[in-house]
Amino acid sequence: MNLRDGHFWMVVTAGFLLGALGILLSVWGNPENTGICVSCFIENSAGSLGFHDNPRMQYLRPELIGFVLGAVLSASVFREFRSRGGSAPLPRLVSGIFMMVGCAVFMGCPIKLFLRFTAGDLTAAAGIVGLVGGVWIGLKGLANGVTLGRQAQERGGSGLLVPAFSVLLLIFLIIRPGFLIFSGLGSAAQHAPWLVALISGLLLGVLAQRSRFCITGSVRDTFLMGGRSPLLWGFMAFFIAAVSFNVATGRFHPGLYGQPGAHLEHLWSFLGMGLVGWISVLIGGCPFRQLIKAGEGDADAGLVVMGMFIGGALVQSWGIAATAAGVSLYGKVGVLLGFIFVLAACLVFRESATE
Amino acid sequence: MVKDRFDRLLVLLLFTAIIALAVLLAVDAPRGGPHGSGLDKAMEREMAYQARVSLLQKLYGPVESLRQTGNLQAALLKLDELARKYPGEAHGYILQGEILRETGALAEAVASYVEGVRLNGEYVDGKSPLSRRKEIRQLVDEGLKDIGVRAKSHPENRSLAATLKKTYYLQSRLAGGCE
Repeated sequence: MNLRDGHFWMVVTAGFLLGALGILLSVWGNPENTGICVSCFIENSAGSLGFHDNPRMQYLRPELIGFVLGAVLSASVFREFRSRGGSAPLPRLVSGIFMMVGCAVFMGCPIKLFLRFTAGDLTAAAGIVGLVGGVWIGLKGLANGVTLGRQAQERGGSGLLVPAFSVLLLIFLIIRPGFLIFSGLGSAAQHAPWLVALISGLLLGVLAQRSRFCITGSVRDTFLMGGRSPLLWGFMAFFIAAVSFNVATGRFHPGLYGQPGAHLEHLWSFLGMGLVGWISVLIGGCPFRQLIKAGEGDADAGLVVMGMFIGGALVQSWGIAATAAGVSLYGKVGVLLGFIFVLAACLVFRESATE
Repeated sequence: MVKDRFDRLLVLLLFTAIIALAVLLAVDAPRGGPHGSGLDKAMEREMAYQARVSLLQKLYGPVESLRQTGNLQAALLKLDELARKYPGEAHGYILQGEILRETGALAEAVASYVEGVRLNGEYVDGKSPLSRRKEIRQLVDEGLKDIGVRAKSHPENRSLAATLKKTYYLQSRLAGGCE
């Protein structure tokens, strides 16, 4: 830890604001413990685009657009926007789908995992153990030669496609064409004012691009570098901010039962987040980080984002997503298929790496 | 970027397509396009929703009447008949829960409410015309106090434990979250 290092403070600021806005967006209207949840936002946005028919999950979340466009803005200003890709595109797309399956079975992405925990939701503890375990196994894989291969600079600006898609979504958000669905039911009806949500997303997108902050990245770097990792301090700032804002806004309710958007099937919470942690290490970041990288021109991350949209639609259409009642059979099957996919991918990509 | 005639042709066509799109949007969009009204999913959904609420009120009207006159057994029989005709309709479960609660059958009432909420989450939404949020909150408070205490003193009683779990489910749904 170097207190004179500007990057260190950038990471800490990004972590702090992610934690603070994660709570404040709930105060301003987002569902409980879901101020920021990339997987929930993608499921909602996929529903809004008509990709699934759950009327309680159909709202185009401005935060999501903000994350990508904030990263585009920052990467452009600091000349870090580079179209790149070509590293195992289809496996990345499928990884995006299974990452959403893991999140849906747990009921949240790694950011929401900690937002839930810092609000006193003790059911999230199983998810934390799962996420840390998944990252650890992923790192073991990397150490043993599992790699999806190197990226290359891409001609033709393929890295512009996800930013362009985000601009299109922003236009949709503003003009609200009739074919888009903005549901007034359930959690879709709970949202912060769109401009506040968009600005929050943009701010976090800029900071996350500059700092490279992400939740699974923090866990990974802590395993690799211990206390020397700036991301660990960013994570601590995130955690402290989330706890403080939860307590200050009266949202801290410690307990195991009756928690918002949570179930009591701890094994599946553990496995769901384990799958997300493992995949995140393989593809270089959690769902949030994939959005930021896609905004920097990373076409591989862009494919993960597209996979997450497909996954977001499938988990709702096929009944994979868990509810407070528990995890469905399809959800359990989805998680196990995800592990089969990751294990097979590790085998295949390890072979090609050692050839 | 533009190297030869073919590139120039591509640029020309690109600009033509962009201008055509802009003109199309500028001219047609304010009118909603030829099929604009057909694409307004929000309107379609709202109409379908209102129709559904009206249908539910019409279908279950006799049950409500019987309930208001205090004829609870007849109301339950009528619900049974409707459940055979419309299996899986959440509203029937919710009404059944309300009636069972009035008769003092707390555990059965909780089970009915859980079935209803699982089938249709609108009953816990504060803004929905079908909302039973207040009633469900009262039921949860009552359930946690009554069933919770009994379940603690009789840990071997599986039926009580199952009812308590169902009460926690309702509590969790009331707490919100994204699902």
